[in-house]
Amino acid sequence: MYTTSKLKRFASLFAVIALMLFSSVAQAFEGDAKNGRKLFKQNCASCHKLDKKLVGPALTGVTDKYSEDWLLQWIRNNAELRASGDEDALAIFEEYNGSVMSAFPALSDQDIFDILQYTIDGDPKPVVTTAGGGGGVAAAPAKDYSKEIVIGLGLLLFVMISLLARMKNTLRLVNGQDPVSILDEAGWFWGRLINNKGFVTVATIVVTIAFLNQLYWFMMGIGVEQNYQPEQPIAFSHALHAGENQIDCNYCHSSARHSKHSGIPSANVCMNCHMYVDGSEITDDAGNLKYDGERSPEIAKIYAAIGWDADERGYIENYEQQPIKWVRIHNLPDLAYFNHSQHVNAGQLECQECHGPVETMEEMYQYSELTMGWCINCHRETEVQFEKNGYYQDFHEELTEKYHGEKITAEKIGGLECGKCHY
Amino acid sequence: MVWNVVSVTTNREVRMTENNKYWRGIEDQSNPELTEKLAQNEFSNEISSADFLGNDEVAESQTSRRDFLKFMGFSTAAATLAACEAPIVESIPYVVKPDSLTPGLPSYYATSMFDGMDYASILVKTREGRPIKVEPNTEAPFNGGTNARTQASVLSLYDGARLRNPKVAGEDASWGDALAAARGMLTDKSVLLTSSVISPALKAAIAKLGLRHVSVDAVSASARLDVYEGFTGKRGLPTVDLDHATTVFAVGADFLGDWGGQNLMASYAERRKPGQGMLRHLQAEAGLSISGSNADVRVKTRVSEYEAVLAHVYNKVASALGLSKVSAPALREDIASSIDAAATELIKAGSGALVLNGLNTENAERLALAINLALGSKAFNTSKFVYTANGNDKAAAALVADVAAGSVDTIVTLGVNPAYQMPSVDLSGVNVVAIADREDETAATAKAALPVSHYLESWSDFSAVDGHYAVGQPTISPLFDSKSAVEIVNALAGGSESAKALVEASAAANAGSTSWNALLHDGFASTAAAEVSMNGSMDASMIDVSGINVMKPQSGLEFYTYTKTGMGAGENANNPWTYELPDPITRLSWDNYITMSAADAVELGIEVAPESNGAMTGNTLNITVDGNTLENVPVWIQPGQTMGTLGLAVGFGRTAVGKVGNGIGVNANTLLPASAAVSTEVSASASEVEHGFASVQLAHTMMGRKIVNEISLPTFMNVSHEEWNEKPTFETHRGPLSAFEANLWDDHDHETSHMWNMSIDLNSCTGCGACVVACSLENNVPVVGKDEVRRHRDMHWLRIDRYYSSEMTAERAEEEGIGAIEKYAKMEVPSESPSVVFQPVMCQHCNHAPCETVCPVGATVHSREGLNHMAYNRCIGTRYCANNCPYKVRRFNWFNYKGNEKFADVNPSQDDYGRMVLNPDVTVRARGVIEKCSLCIQRIQLGKLEAKKDGRMLTDGEFTTACAQACGSNAIVFGDVNNPDSEVSHLKQQGRAYHLLEEVGTQPSVFYQTKVRNRA
Repeated sequence: MYTTSKLKRFASLFAVIALMLFSSVAQAFEGDAKNGRKLFKQNCASCHKLDKKLVGPALTGVTDKYSEDWLLQWIRNNAELRASGDEDALAIFEEYNGSVMSAFPALSDQDIFDILQYTIDGDPKPVVTTAGGGGGVAAAPAKDYSKEIVIGLGLLLFVMISLLARMKNTLRLVNGQDPVSILDEAGWFWGRLINNKGFVTVATIVVTIAFLNQLYWFMMGIGVEQNYQPEQPIAFSHALHAGENQIDCNYCHSSARHSKHSGIPSANVCMNCHMYVDGSEITDDAGNLKYDGERSPEIAKIYAAIGWDADERGYIENYEQQPIKWVRIHNLPDLAYFNHSQHVNAGQLECQECHGPVETMEEMYQYSELTMGWCINCHRETEVQFEKNGYYQDFHEELTEKYHGEKITAEKIGGLECGKCHY
Repeated sequence: MVWNVVSVTTNREVRMTENNKYWRGIEDQSNPELTEKLAQNEFSNEISSADFLGNDEVAESQTSRRDFLKFMGFSTAAATLAACEAPIVESIPYVVKPDSLTPGLPSYYATSMFDGMDYASILVKTREGRPIKVEPNTEAPFNGGTNARTQASVLSLYDGARLRNPKVAGEDASWGDALAAARGMLTDKSVLLTSSVISPALKAAIAKLGLRHVSVDAVSASARLDVYEGFTGKRGLPTVDLDHATTVFAVGADFLGDWGGQNLMASYAERRKPGQGMLRHLQAEAGLSISGSNADVRVKTRVSEYEAVLAHVYNKVASALGLSKVSAPALREDIASSIDAAATELIKAGSGALVLNGLNTENAERLALAINLALGSKAFNTSKFVYTANGNDKAAAALVADVAAGSVDTIVTLGVNPAYQMPSVDLSGVNVVAIADREDETAATAKAALPVSHYLESWSDFSAVDGHYAVGQPTISPLFDSKSAVEIVNALAGGSESAKALVEASAAANAGSTSWNALLHDGFASTAAAEVSMNGSMDASMIDVSGINVMKPQSGLEFYTYTKTGMGAGENANNPWTYELPDPITRLSWDNYITMSAADAVELGIEVAPESNGAMTGNTLNITVDGNTLENVPVWIQPGQTMGTLGLAVGFGRTAVGKVGNGIGVNANTLLPASAAVSTEVSASASEVEHGFASVQLAHTMMGRKIVNEISLPTFMNVSHEEWNEKPTFETHRGPLSAFEANLWDDHDHETSHMWNMSIDLNSCTGCGACVVACSLENNVPVVGKDEVRRHRDMHWLRIDRYYSSEMTAERAEEEGIGAIEKYAKMEVPSESPSVVFQPVMCQHCNHAPCETVCPVGATVHSREGLNHMAYNRCIGTRYCANNCPYKVRRFNWFNYKGNEKFADVNPSQDDYGRMVLNPDVTVRARGVIEKCSLCIQRIQLGKLEAKKDGRMLTDGEFTTACAQACGSNAIVFGDVNNPDSEVSHLKQQGRAYHLLEEVGTQPSVFYQTKVRNRA
């Protein structure tokens, strides 16, 4: 497997080099595809894709169709070009139903060449797996051999006991006594133990305590849904959105800063990006297009919910919208009042402190216990964010004096009082 | 076991040998065979189990008992295991989230409500699109306060009994069909019958409809309106500016309750602040009203004497000013001197005098107007009218006559329920088109019923008072297939405009320079007041009352109707909160009843007494008024009731309002129509039938204790507060200590951060009950129904205790040498003409709380902010805390009110619609736990959080509790006493401040302000 991916890496490297060599024959300009990609994402991606029609035409091969000069003029100010009566320019304009392309007077020639270079080179093929969001092949983790060690030690013990038994019997034979089997001796020993009241008492107590302990932890675990990872209606990956794409949590969960609820984003928030990103370019580990260049069926679920016609690129009129029924993962009981904005805004906590490394989770799960003990522990340890919060202006001094400079935790301002969360 | 068998055998032997026969009752003898048969059956009407469990498939299948047990065992085990798994909870976001809405945060809308009786400018709190609370719009210059009815009105939105779609002849129909059917019935012989209309947009639609329009009010002021219409041409009532009054004399006018459409609570409380120039309040009335119980002097007057009283006062004023007198019958000896004294005070007050009349007769209003004008009353504002009641009883009487004569073919009703409130009209001969919110008594028989939206779903506008225009905006889409009233009337007239378009057009014409957006933002617009021009000279024609024929006072029994604080005119008659709220005076809920004086009760042989469990039960009365009879009407013996007068509240006795209100109480209008002020043609006799009351208070006097501290104004002005507000002290080895210094316990640290306190000014509290309803709304307090209230299991976190004074006092007992037993026995009896005090009592949030020390599970604990917390999920229901609470403010959940079918009819949270009113920030408590006032901790926490989020200090008054917010008279003030600039800190320093039962050493966070009466 390791060798396969290595081979693939070589193959793709070869392909890229071949492509560059080939294209450099046809083109007369030099461009930096990497910078071009960046510029493309900033300026062009909302209307163009390399491989398919969006608002404007697909751009792969555009340098074969038109001359450099024409492209420079068109990109910088297409209206001017059209006004000059250029036939090609008017033809495109007609073809795309008169939708006007923005002018980009700020782009330098080199910028445009970079972009064009990118249209030739395309996206660098992912050559390694992105699983885990780490990138690169991590060294295999040290295997856990503890089981084998235990089995080995057990075998060793068995051999040693057998040897000792043999030795004992040999000595008994030497002394002219009858040999005894190891099972007889064990039975004798067991009989002694069973008839020993002290032992039985102690053993009963130990077993009972162990049982009660297990029972206690079993009972305490009822209703604790740590690691709860239900199947969601859409295979949404936080690793992709929050991890790889670095989208801020608050972008989608915007009400976390304002309200008690963090808020599941409504479908129109998804559409801010997914109007343009339809997942057709997603690749699998091997670098192949995951959906054969088709729209991602997961993203299509958003379109189905909100009524977006991805082919016509418009919302369907009078569409009966269907809400997306996400499965709630973090369920606090109704008797506990929890407010996100209190923690995110006043407490200045990072989302990850309770929700764990969300940016690495392909599928979201409940990271924390969400038990009262868990809440309380945090309130005992977490210092109040007095700094830069005018609310505490007076209290900070009073509390510092009262607690003689100890660190002032949520507990010390009443964070453990029943009525703060239960009302 | 063996022993049992032996004993049974013995019994049988005994019976067999002696062959005796014991009858269990008389029915045994009459039909022994049936008795024998019944004795064999545990349930006399038994249904065979095959019938009710039966299922043909099952009957044919071969399931043995063994199999059954196996399945049973398996499913029990499976259920047990499944219970360990958390249920799957869906979290469904909006598809497209509205910009104005963030889940978890409330949105507020400014709007107004008018239900034919109450008009209020309000803010509506919505959560996730659901209106959950009505709050006062304090910026509004007119009626910006809320009363109990306004507060409760939000629940009427979620009434499951509302009409869900149009109906034609009782069958469901589309709006198109229903409107076509209704239009088909309209001819020039048709009539539109409405309650008072104050909406310019609706008036325009009515004009467009072009039918004969008759307005009639459930609580009529028609005769009084006739007076002003005669003088000014405008059908409105003068407004009152208490700011300019020094002495107010109200004759039968409950101006703090239901009188005149103007909310005078705030200005009354402001003018009743003790000190120089405190308003003096005199009241002459038959039954004890809220205004009467707040008066400094209350004269027990018969309703038939009201005119004579006014005439008498007028004559005194006239002789002082040299005007011509009116011929007035002599006053009863008992009251003559009091009325004389009142007249003298009014004359002395001059332009500061104000006379208010509550009797719906032209004469009475003419006399009151004449007195006010003669004295030049500055408080009686005849140039600014209020129009919330503008019905016309004469036109209604003409309509009734026309209906009887058959000259009316169709009646369109809007906001009125003639089949209930006008028993004299026979609707069987006419077509009825009911624009109604439910299939009420009228709509049930209507040819077409058109569902009208609740005011929180409607577009509407209001010109309630001169110089004030307001717009009502919807805060939720209609729950059912209903429309705004203005849209329905306009559609009947053939229009197709939406309600919003109609109201917007009306606003453009009426709101003056205020823009549409500003109107929706503020909820109102102040417009140039159209001055009411008085016809003719103010002095001559209006003051001249010489021609009027004053009503002769009668002796025998007389009957009148009145409105209750909770029910009002009956607009919320299917709203459980209006029933559960105990009447402030009688402290009874879920009933109406005849109020009667103790002397009359003795004469008629009526008794009301507690049963062994504390539930009140009394006799009932068969009563005939003007030939109309009601049987078995409950009677309540009311201290302060004028002898010979019988009062009965309107709005009860509904038959088709919904499951909550049907069959509660009796319909007072069957005895006396709303248009009549009083009847003296009364005969009454006690009936055999008994009636159980739901009373929440059994002890009616304070028994000489300082529960409500009350002093007179001269004492307040001239004597040091240390004398009249003495603090209890304890003799200790450290010398005398106050209740705050003599401690068994360590003190909590209340110096750092906040310390929440509440001040309740007993001088401002009028007992109106708005706080009680607001508290129920805010805190999801369950409704328990009459049977449970009767057992004293009411759940209100906040109660308003009402105490009567007694003739017997400790001083009098000492003077007259009366022994202790007799003294206390007499102290229990309220005076026949009592002074009344109200005292709101909620959890006092003791800083040395007796409840906290006795809780075995630490479910109630103290916070460092001075609150007494209650953790419901820790509570195991021992009720030790409730037993140890000296204030009796802890309530126990005896039942699962939200699930137990016993409460299905009364508890709104058992209904899919009613549940929507619940406050999502407050837990709905389970059975078996104690609950109590939390000082609205959800509001405290939210207020602090908002400040933290903004990074600023809290400002005083930024948030307050639901009760304080609802209090129209600002009697309740909540705040942080660690902030020396807060209002509550200042109030705590006042000489009037005291703690309830301070001597028990509980150190409460709630304190009271001594009541001061303006009398010697």
